Amino acid sequence: MHWLSCRETITLCIVLRVLFALGLDFYLSPPTSYAYSVDNGDKVVEFINNGPGLLSASSPLTLYANLKESLWLYQRGMDPYGSGIGQVGSPLYLAFSFFPTIAESGPSKTQLLSKLFGIFLWTAPDAFSAWFLVRIWKARASTSTKSSSSSITFVLPLIYLLSPYVILSSLARSTSVWENAILLGAIAWACESESEFKTKPELNNSNSKSKSLLFLALRVHLSLDALILLPPLILLLLGSPESRLTEPGPFGLYLRSTILRAALNVLFEFMVYWTALALISTLIVGHWRWMSTTWGTSLSLPSMTPNPGLWWYFFTEMFDHFRPFFLVVFNVHLLMYVAPICIKFQHDPLYALFILVGILATFKSYPTLSDHGLFIAFWGIFPEVYPYLRHPFPTTLVLIHSALLQPLFAHLWLSHGTGNANFYYASTLVGACAGGMAIVDAVWAGLRIALEKHGKGELKLVEGEEREIVTQQ
Amino acid sequence: MLRTSLFLISLLLSSVFCLENINEEFEEYLSIKSLRDGRVTSSFSFTTLLRDAIPRDPRTLAFDDDTSQHYTLFPLSLGQILRQYAITELHLTLNAGKWNYDTWGYPDEPDVGVGAELRAWMAGDSISSIDERWQGVRNALAGLFCASLGSLDEQRTTSPRLSFPPEGALPDWGLPHELRHASHASEHVCTENLTPFLKLLPCKSLSGLATLLNPHRIFDADWHGIGLHVLWRPEGVEVRLNVQLVFDPLRISAQGKQDWSFHSLFDRKVEKACPVASSTRVSVELPNSGVYRVYPEPQEIRDGKAYYSLKNNNEAWNIGTMWPTDFEYRICHAALSSPDPALVPFSVTRNLLGPTQDRGQLSIVLTNNQQDTLQLLYLETMPWIVQFYLHTIRVHSDNVPRDDLISNISYVLPVPHARPATFESVLTLPGRSTLTFTMDVAKAFLRYTEHPPDAQRGWDLPPAIFTPLNQSLNGSMSLGSRVYTPSLLVDLATPDFSMPYNVIIFTCSVMAFIFGSVFNVLTRKFIVVRVRPDPPRNQSVGTEKRLEDTDSDTLNELNTSKSGVH
Repeated sequence: MHWLSCRETITLCIVLRVLFALGLDFYLSPPTSYAYSVDNGDKVVEFINNGPGLLSASSPLTLYANLKESLWLYQRGMDPYGSGIGQVGSPLYLAFSFFPTIAESGPSKTQLLSKLFGIFLWTAPDAFSAWFLVRIWKARASTSTKSSSSSITFVLPLIYLLSPYVILSSLARSTSVWENAILLGAIAWACESESEFKTKPELNNSNSKSKSLLFLALRVHLSLDALILLPPLILLLLGSPESRLTEPGPFGLYLRSTILRAALNVLFEFMVYWTALALISTLIVGHWRWMSTTWGTSLSLPSMTPNPGLWWYFFTEMFDHFRPFFLVVFNVHLLMYVAPICIKFQHDPLYALFILVGILATFKSYPTLSDHGLFIAFWGIFPEVYPYLRHPFPTTLVLIHSALLQPLFAHLWLSHGTGNANFYYASTLVGACAGGMAIVDAVWAGLRIALEKHGKGELKLVEGEEREIVTQQ
Repeated sequence: MLRTSLFLISLLLSSVFCLENINEEFEEYLSIKSLRDGRVTSSFSFTTLLRDAIPRDPRTLAFDDDTSQHYTLFPLSLGQILRQYAITELHLTLNAGKWNYDTWGYPDEPDVGVGAELRAWMAGDSISSIDERWQGVRNALAGLFCASLGSLDEQRTTSPRLSFPPEGALPDWGLPHELRHASHASEHVCTENLTPFLKLLPCKSLSGLATLLNPHRIFDADWHGIGLHVLWRPEGVEVRLNVQLVFDPLRISAQGKQDWSFHSLFDRKVEKACPVASSTRVSVELPNSGVYRVYPEPQEIRDGKAYYSLKNNNEAWNIGTMWPTDFEYRICHAALSSPDPALVPFSVTRNLLGPTQDRGQLSIVLTNNQQDTLQLLYLETMPWIVQFYLHTIRVHSDNVPRDDLISNISYVLPVPHARPATFESVLTLPGRSTLTFTMDVAKAFLRYTEHPPDAQRGWDLPPAIFTPLNQSLNGSMSLGSRVYTPSLLVDLATPDFSMPYNVIIFTCSVMAFIFGSVFNVLTRKFIVVRVRPDPPRNQSVGTEKRLEDTDSDTLNELNTSKSGVH
């Protein structure tokens, strides 16, 4: 029953999204007589990238125009990954050249069909994402009988599929939509692998585990920043996705000796997949330089194209002789969160993963709206922490404030000419504050919940005493 | 004995001098033409030929053979540069203004792109050695001509395949020859470039045609450019220094007449010829129609041109042309009666469209003025700050989409902060048609140190170059004369230059704040504190009481629980 309702929700949302995209395309298309300039829904992409999603909907590494350019160059025997400009995440995206509607531009006889196909290609990953989210939730809620999963399975697809962040990215045909789906797939299979392990303990290497690692390897291959999600995912593969926030304790479903070996096994499998994907990419483009132009781009930030993140203006304004130092600082800063959060939330690796997704959305070098959309959607999986959030309302307000001001200020700066770069920078700074507030609150609530659940039972017994949670803030 | 030896030495010396005089040859030539719009173009060229000389073989660069360079007419400072960097062919032009092909026709010297343009053919066995020498020759010429040629760095250097064939010959050393080309549209040409230029001439500006090069008038001209061309032909190395000017006599004259003379254009006359010049000639192109008078009486009239030789004459030369009537703009009645035949086979307009600072559209409109189909080689050497989207190339011929009219696309992708893009293709123009080429471009966001001092003005983009491809009867292609478009100005988004410190502080603060908060929460022990209701003094403080970690041990005994410990 619940499963059905979730599917129905996803279907309904997807139908709504497709209709919306088609309607927008129809609205933006010029009259039929001059159909030449219309290329399979590119008008919508242009509208989003110049309108509500200006600067924010896609980064240079996920821009649809860059994807099309890469395909165009590749099909004409030129090397789009040799120079470091105008290329999307990975040479594997060249597989899109199998889809003629993207690769080819110009008039097409079956315009409506190709339009629909284009919309489908960028809506399907969202449907997968929503479905994976529901599966993650199911894996997490499978043991806790108290939670009413029916409403969650209904709400989760809604908050992902109807989130303006995700819709904008999808309409702008940013490849980050695909990256989100792949990441969620990796997490969903990681959640399920453990439960299979439980039911069939004789299986050491489950099918889901391999799928999960393959998907994560693919996600890391497409954009290197996801590497910081590897440790929590390994924990998740070895541990359990269940909600154990209330029962903190050391990570241990295995003995200490076996845990290391199991972790190394998983790591090895991941490295095998990752290397294989890198080899495939190398075979596609025929040289190793693609690594420096794709992965290197997210590390060394050669393009200062504004995005909702913190890096671009900082390194635009940075003095030349300090740039390498601060590049290292910013990259290491991302890595610094991994170990503490994984250690602190070792009893609930899924929660650690969730917090790291938030950190990635706030602090990575080329974030887009869809990264924030993913973080927001992830909140739906952890309803148990809601009562312990300290300031959900201000966080939401700051987030909305930033989301509304970003396109406005980008326009004032770039199109209208009445603002300057500081306007957009200020709105992204506010966005980073919102992200930071959400992360801090998530960490707080995740730790606070343990105390509350524990305390409650005992405290009720003692009459006549008031209790107080004392913090340093 | 002494006498004979002295005689022998003097004989030897004289023979050497004679040899040198034969080996080096200097010619001056000035061609003046009245243009359709009443302007006058004058083109000076000073040619020095070093007979039987060959460019230096780059393989001898390793051995520092310091053979002396003795020239009498050939400019030594230039010879040293050419020798040190083993340059086979070199072209440097410094121009200001837009050459108006439609009303002025083709220029005598084809390199009329705005700003500085430098290109060199160099032989070399490795790319790195060529790049090193290219850098060296850039800096040396920058010093020689007092021009900012040092800014023609790797970010502006390209190697187009077809558009710049060598004008002379390339020695067959068994080494590949490479072309390096760079242009900088915002470079201005002024007096400080002309002075070193005149110094390269054997007579400086003291005598001969170079007397006319009066800086006050040259840099007042509507269009002016100076150029240096070094090339090798089997008979020797040729250095050609040229100055091209477009004057507007209508602007100078009070009566609105297009009369011109040396005196009216240059404010000078040729008082005496350069004694070492083997020939000093002036040609005046005679107008096609109308009543006019060319003075003094030309010595020779051939192919619609009047020729003068300024050698062997003791009086001052003041060549000029007079019209009895005022100048009439022919454009006014061109629309009514039959228009003048086009001076050039095609005309070009290049624009950068789009209102925003992050993307735009490059638009080129080409009009074929002929009945015949025309094939054009189209070259863009674009700095990386403007990134092409080749998949958005659309070609329309008379508003009909014709993507088949573009072919042979070759594209070298730009590298951010390092290398410009080189885009070459062949456009086919059907007879009497207008071809529109559009392509989307993305404008880069730059680091604040990369912006030029006056950043709001924008960046000058180098001109595009169109070269007609003429198919000869035996099927081989030959290149016509190059056509340069005017440069473009691109408006890039600028950061706020006044607040690098503020941005660094703001961003670092936010990151530090989030980092601190997260780690504050992560390293915290959560404990329940039971506060007895009775003591009133504790009650007031108790709601927000600070606890040190040392206190937690005592509180543990109060039957509390801690997170992280089971």
